[in-house]
Amino acid sequence: MARLNDDAQWIILMGFLISFSFFFLALIINQSTVVGQTTAESIIEFPKNDIRDFRGIFIDVIAKNTTLANSPTIQNDLKSISLNRKNAVVNFSVWYKPNDAHTYVDLYYNNGVTLYNETWASL
Amino acid sequence: MVNREGGQLFTIEGIAAGLLMILTAYLVVSATSVYTAGDTHISDMQLEQIGSDTLKIMDTPENRTTQSDLQMIFSKPIIDEEKFKTNFLALTNNTTSKANDHINFTANYTCRIYPGNDIASSQFSHSRNLTSGEHAVRVTKWVIVNRSFCGTTGEDRAVLVEVLMWRD
Amino acid sequence: MTDDNGNLSIDFLVGFTIFLLAFIWVVSIIPGLLIGLQAYTIDYDAVAYRTGVILAEDPGRSVLDLEPWESYYLQKANVTRFGLAITKETPNILSQDKINRFFCSTVFFYPEDYRNRIIFGDYPYRFNISIRELGQNNTRSVGEVIPDGYGYIRRVVKIKDSSYATINSTNYTNLDGVPSHVFSIRINSDNLMNEVIDPRYQINPSKEQLTINITNLSKLINPSTTSINLTNVTLCFMDMKSSICYSPSPSNYPFVDGSSTRLTSLPATVHENITVKLDPAYINDRLKLGVNNVYIALRFDLTNTTDGSPYNGTFLNNTQVLPNINTLWGNATFFDPETNVYNNFTHPFNYDYNSSEVTQPKLKDAVMEVAVW
Repeated sequence: MARLNDDAQWIILMGFLISFSFFFLALIINQSTVVGQTTAESIIEFPKNDIRDFRGIFIDVIAKNTTLANSPTIQNDLKSISLNRKNAVVNFSVWYKPNDAHTYVDLYYNNGVTLYNETWASL
Repeated sequence: MVNREGGQLFTIEGIAAGLLMILTAYLVVSATSVYTAGDTHISDMQLEQIGSDTLKIMDTPENRTTQSDLQMIFSKPIIDEEKFKTNFLALTNNTTSKANDHINFTANYTCRIYPGNDIASSQFSHSRNLTSGEHAVRVTKWVIVNRSFCGTTGEDRAVLVEVLMWRD
Repeated sequence: MTDDNGNLSIDFLVGFTIFLLAFIWVVSIIPGLLIGLQAYTIDYDAVAYRTGVILAEDPGRSVLDLEPWESYYLQKANVTRFGLAITKETPNILSQDKINRFFCSTVFFYPEDYRNRIIFGDYPYRFNISIRELGQNNTRSVGEVIPDGYGYIRRVVKIKDSSYATINSTNYTNLDGVPSHVFSIRINSDNLMNEVIDPRYQINPSKEQLTINITNLSKLINPSTTSINLTNVTLCFMDMKSSICYSPSPSNYPFVDGSSTRLTSLPATVHENITVKLDPAYINDRLKLGVNNVYIALRFDLTNTTDGSPYNGTFLNNTQVLPNINTLWGNATFFDPETNVYNNFTHPFNYDYNSSEVTQPKLKDAVMEVAVW
């Protein structure tokens, strides 16, 4: 039986080679732009400033002033506005240990993607 | 008679390879997308960072004995619109070289109507009103103020200051 | 037997030609793929953001945390990472001392010293970091001129100014008509660190430079007949049990009469004013040993300009030194005035938060930019 004539295979092979290299090039280029995009988006997505802000309210203002700490008005203000405008569930409680001069604050923040828990003690 | 069509092989292979390459090139070029600067959200991130920093700085008192700018703005009987505008624009638009940035903003505060859980927002300062063409980012800051509004009189309330900022 | 006598068949030529034409056309389309890439890589913005965060929100680090990285005496190799924030609990509030050290071009050289302490990464990024206080025109910067196409971040910060005391000497004279007068200043570091614990407003003698300006010395005497000699300066460190006094090294000598360099030797003639600036590293070393009070004593001797003989007169004086004025050390000088027999004039000047002559630390607005390419 006569062997199939495969003299011109090299043309097709060259064609394939070039096609695959195009695909590879396209993949590299596509991925490179995504790198920058995800970096910026992940910075925006992580609520660093929100958590610091929320924490700052307690540590700077409320924990130093017991009337504010125990005020249910402020508690409800923070919870409602957080839920409504910041899409975050927050909770906090200020408590003391007996015979201990420190003020303790339990903080909870959850915006659906990031969850933050802390027990802060004053100096 | 000798079969003299052996060379057609080359032709066919050539055409096939050519078609293959053209098709691949077409697929590749139409598949990769061209990213414009806005798609990457980098400028949004930069603007948001400037805004957050500014609100935080406005809420830091200059020394131990005074109130912060934000506290002073909110403790006046009528919220001090001009002072907020001047301070905010100065902090966001100044750069380390002589050239100034051109960031504009509109600011409102949100409070909870006591009693109950409804909330209300109202604008208290702006450098220019928002039309529909701006691409704005939002930055927020909590402030504890003692004012008669939102259902209480003379009590400490927590209020969220929200600022929408954009570049012209 | 194959006949390869060199005649290419027409079919082969046609096939190969079609292939080549297609190839050339395709290769000319592909560079269009690269249109989407900018002149600068998107990575630059990420590096600039990271650098901005480290500078504005991190306090920096030295090897083993032995000393503050901004300490004048710390060798360059022992600085692990730059950071301008006062502490890690106070992001966006920067320390003036750290800023001064960061931009000091005689110590740290662009770009290598900065690359592995603030920029990080394998690629040799070029950068420009600058800070300007709002309301001032001078910008401090390190790095090259910014080209077109760079990654960028801007941060808004506050810079903590150091505190300083301005003592008008006419308020602190006593009535003794003697030629030798001693004036002492007390820095109660326990009190300073405990009365105000917020690092943004605290006076921290072990980290910040304290400056004491004594002014109007010429108003106390007649300058044409009397000269003022600053004969001795002593630093005494007191803990719960005892105290140790040192003569400071020349790197801690005061500045006189508005000079920008310190005195090189004592005694020295003074005409108008004296500025005492203590190096925080020096105080830090002592405070680590349990010291809670630092006293600075300055001894002045008045002489007649004509013949150098001692001149008896009233002068800047708040200290009675017993028993030995030559060593500026004595119990009566440095005891807590509340527990001793109270004498109006054995009361050191207190550098604290309540004195009207001490200007408290102030936070000034500033803006910082980082460009990376």
